[in-house]
Amino acid sequence: MTDATAMSGDDLNFIQRIRRDYSPLVIAMVGLFLVVFLAGATLTDDFLTWFNVKTIIRDAALVGIMAIGLTFVTLSGNFFLLSMKEIAALSIICFATLMGADWNQWGPAEGDPTTSALMMTFLVAFTATMIIATITGAIQGALIGLGGNPIVVTLGAAGLFFGIGSWWSDNLVVSYRRPHGAEWLGTGSFIGDIPNITVAFIIIAVVAELTLRYTTFGRQVYLVGANRAAGRATGHENFGMAIKCCIIASVCAAFVAVAFSGQVSSAHVNYFSSEFGSSGDMTIMVIAIVMVGGNSIMGGYGSTLRTSLGAIFISSIDNMMVLNGFNSGARVLAVGLMIVFSIIVFALVRRGSRAVE
Amino acid sequence: MERIKHFVTENPDLVFAILLAFSVFTFFAITEPLFFTHRTGFAIMERFAVLGLVGLALTLCIIAGEIDLSIGSNAALAAVITVRFTDDWGAVNALLLALAVSTTIGAIQGYFIAYLRIRAIVLTVGTLMLLRGVALFAADEKTVMLTDFRIPDFISTKMLVYFSPASLLVIAMFIIVGLFMTYTRYGREIYAIGGARKEALASGISLHRPMIIVFAISGFCAGLGGIIIGLRSGTAQALGLQYLLLAGTVAAFIGGVSILGGKGGVIGAAIGTLTVNFLNTGLVFNVTPSFMVQLYLGILLLVVIMFQTGSRVFDERQRRSQLLNDVDRRRSILADKIAELRRPSG
Repeated sequence: MTDATAMSGDDLNFIQRIRRDYSPLVIAMVGLFLVVFLAGATLTDDFLTWFNVKTIIRDAALVGIMAIGLTFVTLSGNFFLLSMKEIAALSIICFATLMGADWNQWGPAEGDPTTSALMMTFLVAFTATMIIATITGAIQGALIGLGGNPIVVTLGAAGLFFGIGSWWSDNLVVSYRRPHGAEWLGTGSFIGDIPNITVAFIIIAVVAELTLRYTTFGRQVYLVGANRAAGRATGHENFGMAIKCCIIASVCAAFVAVAFSGQVSSAHVNYFSSEFGSSGDMTIMVIAIVMVGGNSIMGGYGSTLRTSLGAIFISSIDNMMVLNGFNSGARVLAVGLMIVFSIIVFALVRRGSRAVE
Repeated sequence: MERIKHFVTENPDLVFAILLAFSVFTFFAITEPLFFTHRTGFAIMERFAVLGLVGLALTLCIIAGEIDLSIGSNAALAAVITVRFTDDWGAVNALLLALAVSTTIGAIQGYFIAYLRIRAIVLTVGTLMLLRGVALFAADEKTVMLTDFRIPDFISTKMLVYFSPASLLVIAMFIIVGLFMTYTRYGREIYAIGGARKEALASGISLHRPMIIVFAISGFCAGLGGIIIGLRSGTAQALGLQYLLLAGTVAAFIGGVSILGGKGGVIGAAIGTLTVNFLNTGLVFNVTPSFMVQLYLGILLLVVIMFQTGSRVFDERQRRSQLLNDVDRRRSILADKIAELRRPSG
């Protein structure tokens, strides 16, 4: 009788349950990591202040939105897109070119244009960018859905999009005048001192999480990702799913591009490549966030909530290292160690519970 | 003639690669008067030295059914180590240290992939970032430079019209790896875990040994490529060399590997690399900016992968319809027989 209750695990407390479910190695690794993180958080000056927390979330917002988009692709079992930064590069060029285009100026030729004229310019450029992003996503999704390997397809597509973006902008910086209609998104704030990009990040995170949990589409994503054969048998082919998920990822990348362009009033294809953030490469950073959050790369397990928390986590580690005066080399090293560490821990946790392929 | 026909039907991918390489070469030889000269031949072989190594490494990984995304970072790390330590320790010591580091990194990656039973893309995305951090650390976040240019001069000395010490070394590497893959048990194991992993594991091949060998060779090739680039140009950047992944993948896929693994070979890798090099070098004559080269490479990769996927899907459909036809035919024969048997009794 006592054995039966112990087996069911109802009367175990939290620590006993963890010791039953995970191996000592995993517990030791995670414990060590938590201790290091908490020690760093308490010993770093100015880390645990409201201002710094706002900074962390603001830093996490741009990569976080992209990572939320990519999570849909990963959850549907299509690994990840290696072309995230190139989609963003093409989008930012498209947006900036249209923001500065002569035919797209709706105000009077002389003097400051009105707010509605600025918004008109913004809306035209924004819509066009989103259409471009949808097309790029649909192309990749169709190729992946037809059976192409996602890694190789998106590697090729990355070269293609980057080439188109560079060719369109002649590899130059495209800039447009302030005041413009994208300032509210890039640098403005409607709610007190919380930047709009943070608000957008939170809204997108909540909407994505609700979509995945409570809509038919969300459940289909999990089904196709967890078991492709079962999905096909119940009429949910990967073809349509890959297209939808790639479009979501592309549109998120384009949104980030628009927000970033709104901050700096200009665009260049290399904005997301080497000089951006601590990592030097947006694509890898986004994939890192998806993985550090603990989403299964094989699909079917994970959530966008995990991704958002992963983005905030990486951003806070980065912030902590900046406050302690580390250079970019040490920061990239730390982020890299964190990715490899989380890959190993999650693989150890899941070993045996999932099939090899 | 019979033998040629046999060769074509046995290796359609290789023949396709040879034809593609030949047509690209002919196109540029006709349109560019300077293309078909000794000097351009030497330039192509110089490019082959680096890109060939990366193509070879990726070919081996894809044969084993995996892909190594960290190849650019590994090459950059090796380049930084070599260039940074050449002045203090001499080129040979620095070079050996860099090779040892990159080979060890590759072997460790292979071990973890086999031990954790995860896909290589998952781990190598992580190591891509990690190695970049290590390279930044090793380079002190600066562009490191050589002061003594005797070594760069030596490795690009012209020999035998077309070759330099670097490209001869790479050709030797190709021959050794080719012999290893074709004639040794370990090489065949790599093909086995790529083409039919479950069957290979069931028949007693350990996943560890071929994985470690593949990724060690991949790390070695990436390191050697990085060293050649670093020593030849005399400088190295920790965040550079990321373009190698796209070019190497294109070379591997033109060379006839299948994304499902177990197919392709070293000769294909060499021909695929040569095709990419012809394209690169030919486009330089047209004063094409580097992003356009990237665009063409992207299109080429998409076309090749869609061609491959399309033929696979077509094959599967063909096989399925053949199976259904077969079943139908047998059923109708059976029905005829049953009807025949029933007639006398009824």
